[in-house]
Amino acid sequence: MHRTIIEKKPLLTRALNRFRGISRLSPTATAGVIIILFFAVLAIFSTAFMPHDPVSSYTDRILKPPSADHWFGTDGNGMDVFSRVIYGAKFGFGIAIPAVILSVVIGIPIGLIAGFRGGMLDEVLMRFFDGLRVFPSIILALAVVAATGQSLINVILVLGVLDSPVFARVVRSEVLALRNSIFVESAIAAGNPTWRILFVHLLPNSIQGAMAQTAVRAAWAVRISATLAFLGVGIQAPTPEWGAMIRQGAEFMITGQWWVAIFPGVALIFLVFGLNLFGDGIQDILDPRRRVEK
Amino acid sequence: MTDVILSAKNLVKRFPTGKANSFVNAVNGVDLKIRRGQVLGMVGESGSGKSTIGRTILRLTDPTSGEINFAGQDITKLSPGKIRPMRKDMQMVFQDPWSALNPRMKVGDLIAEPLKIHFKMRGSECVDHTEHLAKRVNLSVDFLNRTPNALSGGQLQRVCIARAIATNPKLIVLDEPTSSLDLSVRAGILELLQEIRDETQAGFLFISHDLGTIKLISDEIAVLYLGRVVEQMPKEKLFEAPSHPYSQALLSAHLPSDPNEKLNKFTLAGEIPSPINLPSGCAFHQRCPVAIEDCKTSVPKNEIISQGHFASCAQIAHGKNIIQRDS
Amino acid sequence: MTLLSVSNLKTHFIFRDIDNQFREAKALNKVSLSLDAGRILGIVGETGAGKSLTAQSICGLLRPPAKIVGGTIQFDGQDLLSLSEDELNKVRGADISMVVQNPRSSLDPLTRIGDQLVRIHQTHTGGPIKTSRRKAIEMMEAVGFSDPEQRKNAWPHELSGGMAQRVLIAMALMNEPKLLIADEPTTGLDVTVQAQILDLLKDLVSQFNMATMIITHDLGIVAHYCDEVAVMFAGEIIEQGSVQDVFLSSAHPYTQSLLASTPEKLRLGSKATVTRSPPDLFNLPQGCLSQDRCEISTELCKTTPPFQKISRLHSARCHFANSKETQSKVNMEVDIEGSRKTPND
Repeated sequence: MHRTIIEKKPLLTRALNRFRGISRLSPTATAGVIIILFFAVLAIFSTAFMPHDPVSSYTDRILKPPSADHWFGTDGNGMDVFSRVIYGAKFGFGIAIPAVILSVVIGIPIGLIAGFRGGMLDEVLMRFFDGLRVFPSIILALAVVAATGQSLINVILVLGVLDSPVFARVVRSEVLALRNSIFVESAIAAGNPTWRILFVHLLPNSIQGAMAQTAVRAAWAVRISATLAFLGVGIQAPTPEWGAMIRQGAEFMITGQWWVAIFPGVALIFLVFGLNLFGDGIQDILDPRRRVEK
Repeated sequence: MTDVILSAKNLVKRFPTGKANSFVNAVNGVDLKIRRGQVLGMVGESGSGKSTIGRTILRLTDPTSGEINFAGQDITKLSPGKIRPMRKDMQMVFQDPWSALNPRMKVGDLIAEPLKIHFKMRGSECVDHTEHLAKRVNLSVDFLNRTPNALSGGQLQRVCIARAIATNPKLIVLDEPTSSLDLSVRAGILELLQEIRDETQAGFLFISHDLGTIKLISDEIAVLYLGRVVEQMPKEKLFEAPSHPYSQALLSAHLPSDPNEKLNKFTLAGEIPSPINLPSGCAFHQRCPVAIEDCKTSVPKNEIISQGHFASCAQIAHGKNIIQRDS
Repeated sequence: MTLLSVSNLKTHFIFRDIDNQFREAKALNKVSLSLDAGRILGIVGETGAGKSLTAQSICGLLRPPAKIVGGTIQFDGQDLLSLSEDELNKVRGADISMVVQNPRSSLDPLTRIGDQLVRIHQTHTGGPIKTSRRKAIEMMEAVGFSDPEQRKNAWPHELSGGMAQRVLIAMALMNEPKLLIADEPTTGLDVTVQAQILDLLKDLVSQFNMATMIITHDLGIVAHYCDEVAVMFAGEIIEQGSVQDVFLSSAHPYTQSLLASTPEKLRLGSKATVTRSPPDLFNLPQGCLSQDRCEISTELCKTTPPFQKISRLHSARCHFANSKETQSKVNMEVDIEGSRKTPND
C-alpha cells in the first residue's frame, strides 16, 4: 500500500504552526485573544504586578498625579491607582465568567426543549423571554440588586438570569433548523428516547452559535457590572472594581484630577473591546463559508 | 408460505400544505406484505409516495388512515412511547449517509447506540459487539474512532447498515440506500445486504427509483405511481413482461449500459402531476397512451395476470394494455 | 473541425491548512481531450474523478483555492487561458455555455423566466429588445413549452424540475453557442423526464451543430446519447474513444470494472468486493494512479503508463492496454450475465 511517512515536528513548533494557521483564519479572533490573555494574566498574577497594596491608603499622598512611584497616580483616599486597576481585572473576570456560565446553564436547556417541542411550551417560554428583554437591563438590574442587597453574588445572579434569553434564543433557532434533519430522524428510528435526542444529538450540533456568543455576552456582563457599580449599586468603594473607581473618580474630573477615572475607564474599554473582538472572530472561524486564502 | 412480518392495508397518508382544504396526497390506499427473508422492492419516481410508505410503516410518521400490522400486532395507533422499544425489531437505512449520521459523534458510538438503548450494553461487552458489527459490514475497526467526515460514502453507508442490524431486527426498510453512492461501491453494498438478509432472515423493504438495482436485489417488485401500487410482480417479470402502461414506460426510459442494445422507447407525454391535485379515476390516465373513457372516472381494480402478478389497469381485461413502441 | 482542444490541463487546490502547512491537491493531472462541432462527448467517472472540475476549468469558473497550474485550452482558435476576465466573459454564456445540475438553484428566483432569457441574449448579442423577446419565445418552444406566450411570465419556483431544466437549456442556447457543456443535466430528475430532456438535447445538438460535452456518472446516458467518451479517474483521463470502442472493447481495467458494476452485468454472490477508499489527491502514488486498486498491477505500474493507442481514436492509459491478458483476466473475476432478455415487444 502506497503511503508517505510524515515526520512529527516537535510539540512547540506544531503548536506555533497551529496558532499561525488559526490567526490566518481570523486575525480578529487572534487580536481578541491576545487582549483577553493580557488581562487574564493580570488578574491571576496580580500580586506580581502590583507595586503597592490596592487597599492601603497613603494619607500623605492624596490625589497625586502620575509619577515614578505611582504610575497612575493616587486617588481620593491616597490609594495607588495602578495597583487598583490591576486588581480590578479580577472583578472583570470574576463577575463575567460566573454570570455567563449561569446564563448558559439556564438558557441552553430551555432553548433546546422549546425548539424541539415547539407548541405551547415554546410560545410561553419565548413570550416570557421577550418580556424580560423589553426591560432596559440596567433598570431591572438596579431594581433587583437594590432589593436583594448589595453583594457580588447578587450581581452575578442578576446578570446571569438577565442574559439567559440570548442563549436560549440562539440555541432554539439552531434546534428549529436541525430538528427535521435526517440524522435526528435516524436517531428517532434507532429508538432514542427524547432526552438522548436533546442532549446527545441536538445539543452538540446546536451549540456553536451559543459558544460564539459567550465572549460577546461576557463583554456585556463586564460592562453592566461596571455600570451598576458606577451607579452606586453592587460593589462599592474602597473595593478596587473599575466601575466603582470611575464613580469615585468622576467627581474629580472637574477639578482636574483626570487620572483617577480615566485609567480604570481605559482598562474597562480594552477588556470589553478584546472580548468583543474575540467573539466576532469566532463567528468568522465557525462560518462554514469562510474564504480560504492561498 | 413464509411468515409475513409486516402487512399494511389501505394505507393512506396526507400532508397538510398550509392552505385550507389542500393536501399533499402522498399515499392513497396501499396494501403490502413483507415476508421474512424476502425483499419487497418498491420502485417509483417522485410523487409516488415510496419514501412516505417506508416512513409510515415504521411509524416515523403517523398514517392518516389504514392499518399496519407488525409481527402480528396492530401498531397503527400505538403511542410513540409504546413504539419506541419496538424499534429494536424494525430499523431503517436512509438514502444519504452523510446526513443520516450525527456529524459530531464517533462512528463507533453511532453503531453502538442501538445496543446501548435497547440492550443497555456497556463497557467492554459493548466495544466487542461494536467491533463485531464493524467486521460484519466489512468496515475496518480503525474507523470506529473517527467522525463521519473522515469516511467515504460507501464506508458511511456500511456504518448505517451496521447501526441498523445491531439489534438483529426482523424488518429493515431501506430508502434508496445506494442512490448516492458511486457505481463501484454499490455492488459491495448490495452484496452485503443480500448476505444479511440470508443470515438474519429479516424482511426487507427496498425502495429505489433505479430499475436495475431493484431487479438485482428484490424477490418481488411493486411499482408505484402517485401513491398507489399500479403493479406488483415477481422480479423477473419487471424486465420481461410488465403489464401496466406505466411500468412499461419506466422500462422504456431505462438506459442500459450496452450501447448496442436497442431502446424500445415510446415518449411519455407531460410530467407527473402534483400529488396536491390528484387526477380523477386512474392517476395515470392523462399521460397514458392506451387510456379510454373509463380511465378518467374510475380507479381500475387489480387484474390478476398470473401467480403473484397483478396490475391495476382497465385495459388488461381488453387485452390492450401493451404499448406499441416507436421504432 | 476541432473546436475545443484541451492539452495537459493541470488544476490544483493550493492552500494553507489549519496547521499552517502548505497543502496541494492535484485534482486534474494532464487532462487532454478534443471535441469537434456536432459531436457529443461523454465524460464519465466517479466522485472526485475531476469531471466537473474539467468543465469549470474550461469555462474559467474556478474559485480559490483551485487554480490552473499548467496546460492549454484552445477554443475556436483562441487560447482561453491567456484571455483576461473581461474577454472570457464575452465568450462564456455566448460561445461556450453551460447547463448544470439542480436547475432551480441556477435560476434567478426574482425574475420571470422569459425575462431571464431576454437578459442573457441582451448581455451577449445585444440588439433591439424585440428581437431578444422573439428569440426567447422561439427557444421556449424549441425546448418543449407548449404555450410560450403564457409561460414566459412564470416564476422559477412555479416550475417542476424538468421544466426548470428546459429553461436552463433554452438559456444556454439563446446565443447560439458553439460549445455546450452539460454537467449532470438529468441527475435528480425522474427517469421518464430524463428521457425527454436527453432526446431534446440530442435534437438541438444536431439542429445547431454544437460541440457538446455531457458530464455524468450514468453509463447508460453515455451509451445511448454520446458519440465519444472519456473515462476519468483521480483527475486523469484513463481511456477515451468512441462509445462503441470503449464500451464494447474497453482496454483499461478501471473502465472494465466500472462496466462490470452496472446492475445488468452484476451477479451478486460472485465475489466478495473489498471496500476501497477513493484516491487521496494530496498524496498520489508515483506511476499509474490506479495501481493500488487494480487486479493486474505489477512493478511496471510504478512508472507512469503512456497513452497506448488501440485504434485510430481509441486509447487507454495502461501498460497492458494492448495485451489480450487485460481482457480475459479482468473479465474472469466477475460473472457477466449473458445477453439481457429483451423486453416485451
